[in-house]
Amino acid sequence: MKSLLATLALTTALTFPGLAMARPVTLTTTLTNYGGDGAYLALYVKDASGAYMGSLWMAGGKSKYYEHLTDWYRATSGDTAQINGITGASVGAGRSLEITLDLADTLFDAGYTLHVDAAVENMRDSPNEVAVPLTTDGAGTPVKGRRYIANFAYKM
Amino acid sequence: MKTTLAVLIASTALTAAIALPAWSAIQDRAETRPITAILEAGPDAQPVILASNDDDDDDNDNRRRSERNNDDDDDDDDDEDDDDNRGARAPNPAPAGTVAPPANGLFGNGAPPKVQMN
Repeated sequence: MKSLLATLALTTALTFPGLAMARPVTLTTTLTNYGGDGAYLALYVKDASGAYMGSLWMAGGKSKYYEHLTDWYRATSGDTAQINGITGASVGAGRSLEITLDLADTLFDAGYTLHVDAAVENMRDSPNEVAVPLTTDGAGTPVKGRRYIANFAYKM
Repeated sequence: MKTTLAVLIASTALTAAIALPAWSAIQDRAETRPITAILEAGPDAQPVILASNDDDDDDNDNRRRSERNNDDDDDDDDDEDDDDNRGARAPNPAPAGTVAPPANGLFGNGAPPKVQMN
């Protein structure tokens, strides 16, 4: 009986950190009716010092337009390996993009900031359209964008 | 009478001497062919050289047209090439769901990304 309890405690102790290391997070981006083609959006994370950590999502599949997501492009040199498996379609004006990702817990309350760059064909590029600190308290609070994004929010 | 007869024979002989070679030469050069046969045989077979040839004009038009079309095609191709290859552009990324997200430390090992557009 004792050995069974010990085994159970051990497996729980080993399993729990694995479960607690990541959680599903929903990122919702709603665009304004800016009256243009579909917007390309780059969602990426920087650390407290402003260094690029990695990308979370790319809305828009043609690499030839990525140079217009200027901050993201500068940070990554347009390396599409950064966004393999996390790329979807561009987002039309007035529409809402909802992405649910399994994100590491270490991203939250650790000084990381989520950035969104936006670009629309034949319209002005909008780097750093949104910059929102990743905190558990900030979850669910909408943040306004500068040009094409009406608001952005993340929920855990 | 004898004189008249001699003159007549001499003139006939002269005429025959001059006319026979000329007549045979005409027979050699001008083969009598129907006009449709000449036209069907094409420009090379025509007994006269036309100052203007419709076929040549057509050729030129076709060449000009095809050159113009080729130029257009080339231009279009160039444009596309420019778009796609300028600065050794990176390939398009793999869409979500086709490969795992990058191992950048931001993602857990759980569910794959879900996306919804409203």
